[in-house]
Amino acid sequence: MTGNEQALATEGLGKRYGKKWALRGCTLALPAGKVIALVGPNGAGKTTLLRMAVGLVAPTVGTVEVFGQSPTENSPQALSRVGFLAQDHPLYRHFTVADLLRFGRSCNVRFDEGLALKRLSQLDIPLNRRAGALSGGQQAQVALALALAKRPDLLVLDEPLASLDPLARLEFQQTLMGAVAADGVTVLFSSHVVHELKQVCDHLVVLNHGHVAVQGDIDDLLGQHRLLTGPRVETGPRKSGSVIEANHADRHSTLLVRDGRTALLPGWQEQPVALEELVLAYLRRGIDQEATV
Amino acid sequence: MTWLIWRQHRAEALALVVLIAAIGAALVIVGQPMHDLFPNGASRCVPPTTDRACIVGLATLQQSYDFAAPMLALLNFVPLAIGAFLGAPLLARELELGTWQLAWTQAVPRMRWLAAKLVALAGLTVALGAAFTGAVAWFRQPLDLFGRFDITGFDLSGIVPMAYGLFAFAIAALAGALLRRSLPAYATAIVVFVTVRIAVATWLRPQFRAPITLTQEIPPGSRELRLAAKPLDWNLGEGFADASGKHFSELSSTIWEHKATDAGIDPATYLHEHGILRWITYHPADRLAGFQLIESTLYVGLAALLLALLVWRVKRRAL
Repeated sequence: MTGNEQALATEGLGKRYGKKWALRGCTLALPAGKVIALVGPNGAGKTTLLRMAVGLVAPTVGTVEVFGQSPTENSPQALSRVGFLAQDHPLYRHFTVADLLRFGRSCNVRFDEGLALKRLSQLDIPLNRRAGALSGGQQAQVALALALAKRPDLLVLDEPLASLDPLARLEFQQTLMGAVAADGVTVLFSSHVVHELKQVCDHLVVLNHGHVAVQGDIDDLLGQHRLLTGPRVETGPRKSGSVIEANHADRHSTLLVRDGRTALLPGWQEQPVALEELVLAYLRRGIDQEATV
Repeated sequence: MTWLIWRQHRAEALALVVLIAAIGAALVIVGQPMHDLFPNGASRCVPPTTDRACIVGLATLQQSYDFAAPMLALLNFVPLAIGAFLGAPLLARELELGTWQLAWTQAVPRMRWLAAKLVALAGLTVALGAAFTGAVAWFRQPLDLFGRFDITGFDLSGIVPMAYGLFAFAIAALAGALLRRSLPAYATAIVVFVTVRIAVATWLRPQFRAPITLTQEIPPGSRELRLAAKPLDWNLGEGFADASGKHFSELSSTIWEHKATDAGIDPATYLHEHGILRWITYHPADRLAGFQLIESTLYVGLAALLLALLVWRVKRRAL
């Protein structure tokens, strides 16, 4: 896997259900070997994008490629390269854990059952227990073990933490990060929780109202954006493309700008922006402004 | 895939095997005394017969086993049960629990997944239907002497029940894909299946071929006023007609019959003198196999159409 390879590339991707566009005009280039967070409010089109990335849903318009292959074609080769963990980590509830492993073996060309067994025994998950009888955290771990046993190049997870309690959440993250460190798998996961992202991921895509609001390496994004505070000005995102968000108080204004490193006017101060603030600023912007970016 | 299909559907498959086995056992227990009435085999007693033992057997069968055919008619639900039970969960259960996302992101392309499931479960539907129709065919051997165009002789014999099973399977599978839940899929399958079955059996089936209508004068002195169908024919209706051949209603026919018997002279002669004709409309017995083939083709065709819709829906990923 070369450093510049793209794990997921989309071009003008859109999906319409009936008359409503779940996702529209989505153009992305996600680097391989990274942990990528897809952030956005509920209904932003995250699930639709992820399902198209793994070939579960066909695009209405545009193209999607995973490591240069179209998942829409649904070929065994393309399917083998991708692991998917759907929201609420669905499993066949009446299958035992051993049955689920056999399912993985019988439906995959390459399936590293030893790896899955190792992970499950580390977590003390009994093989003869029915999936439906496991705790939510254990079910998520089994689903993750199944997905990782495919030895995928891209692992896609839809809201993996949403239904887990804090302890299970932590354990799940540890397992996931352990796998990333060990296998170098590219991870794309969606979340509507913004905090804690910085510790786990290094690339960010913000999705809002079916459009990509902003994307990039987190370090780059934080470097490009800054908060400026100075005397009150009559500017805002509508007047200047580089102003992402403006807050005006009586005497002064606070601007979130994306301008690289231009010199400051007298009377203005700058400070770095936190990741959470950055994401929220983009989510607060209306659709009409996103279109102008 | 084979293991997965077995693991996912073994509960339904085993339940159906038990059901068919129980029905088969019950049919043997009830049916053996009927067979005992014809020690030389029922097939040698096709009416009209002059064989003494056959006549006794037929009379006993008619008197003591009049419950057998209505009892058998209750089993008309079996092809529906087989098909719906195997078809409904096929997609509905995956959609209900979200596991379609698990199943279709393994290395088996979903069209192959669907094809394997359809072949295995439709095949099982046919196999169970064959076992069922075999048991019914044995049970009905004596009853076949009274004709085979009735609701058990036609609808539960030969390849027809297997075609019904496939039809039920296809409705249930498609309903499951559209409604995304098993229980409403079963309910839909029952309603659609029963509606189509009744419509075809009562309205379409008699028209598979043009029935034969026989109209004749009533011979003076004849003891039978009306025409009777031959034992194995399918009688669609009979009665009287006026001299031009126009059929009377059943009520008018009955009134004429009463007038004739009350007239004080030979009733047949009375009707003959009044220019009354008698008629009968029927399908001859030898049309049975052809009719069963037409009916089966119709249902298999419907099933194929519904399954094609299902495949198209899964293929274009609208789920």
